[in-house]
Amino acid sequence: MHAGLSEWSARLAALPEFEPPPDGWETIQAARLQREAGESRRWPIAIAATVLAAVAGLAWQLQSTERELTATDFSAADAAVIANDSVRAENARLEVLLASLPEMRVMRGSTAFTVSQLEDRLAFVDDRLSRFTLEPNAPEHAERLWRERVELMNSLVQVRYADVASPL
Amino acid sequence: MPRIADVSIPESVANAARHGDARALEAVYLATSAPLYTLLRRLVRRPAIAEELLQETFVDVLEHIGAFEGRCPLPAWIRSIAINRALMYLRSPWHRSLEWLDADPGRLEELQSASPVAARSSEPALDRALMRLPALTRAVVWLHDVEGYTHAEIGTALGRTPSYSKTQLARAHARLRDLLAGAETIKEGTPCTLA
Repeated sequence: MHAGLSEWSARLAALPEFEPPPDGWETIQAARLQREAGESRRWPIAIAATVLAAVAGLAWQLQSTERELTATDFSAADAAVIANDSVRAENARLEVLLASLPEMRVMRGSTAFTVSQLEDRLAFVDDRLSRFTLEPNAPEHAERLWRERVELMNSLVQVRYADVASPL
Repeated sequence: MPRIADVSIPESVANAARHGDARALEAVYLATSAPLYTLLRRLVRRPAIAEELLQETFVDVLEHIGAFEGRCPLPAWIRSIAINRALMYLRSPWHRSLEWLDADPGRLEELQSASPVAARSSEPALDRALMRLPALTRAVVWLHDVEGYTHAEIGTALGRTPSYSKTQLARAHARLRDLLAGAETIKEGTPCTLA
């Protein structure tokens, strides 16, 4: 039997309805309060993260400078570590920029897909960065990962900014 | 089964809801939650995910109801939020990993047998066949055939072209026919014997 378009519509529409969870309304109100509480915490966390990144960057820079002035065996690895500073600073700047963009509750499907791909890749890079000290040639690898992270963050900021600038 | 767009909400209730009236908002939830949950259950296989999407949809509604301008009926506006939420989920890596797990026929049966709705369905074979379609294909079928979306609207929602929607729909109908034909063959076939 071949079902025509309207017949498919009729047959599918005749399938039974699902019952929503009985305590749905209460759960929704609780979830809304939770989301509001999360949003009020977001700014202090973003500010704290920025301060922490700035302090860590400054401490790292001071240590690097000290090493540069006192080291007698200045190596290529040390050079890579110092070069990392500017990449990390750029990364911190992009993190602050991303945190300052408003969270879009409704997003285009294509945007959501791109964002999830970028976030996946960022998670992978972060995982590698958290383990890089255990690897041989760690500073060189770290620099490459930090640069990749900056590129991903840059793309993420651009996608999110475009989404905010032209809401649905 | 009423579609969410067919749900009628009196203008006075919609206006009160827009101004944040708690009782009006609850009335809107009570009027729309069942068709909305049904829509979400047809788009995603897992009941727990559909419940979460329903919850997120209404939290979005509560947060943004003030921005609703009344250019379309309130239930249609809520439906668009739910569909966006569901499509975001369907395109997430999290869903892709679950989809791979759920593709196992045994797991599909398990998910369906957990639903009392499947038991009282007048067309259980169609119910099962629908759930065996890939997620985005199933979304195209449901949005077009039941929710009345045009191919252009589906294309926009999925970030694809209207042709993609048309092709998916034609393939889905063919696949549903095949699955239903297979189900009938099994039902009417001779019993298996060793001799």
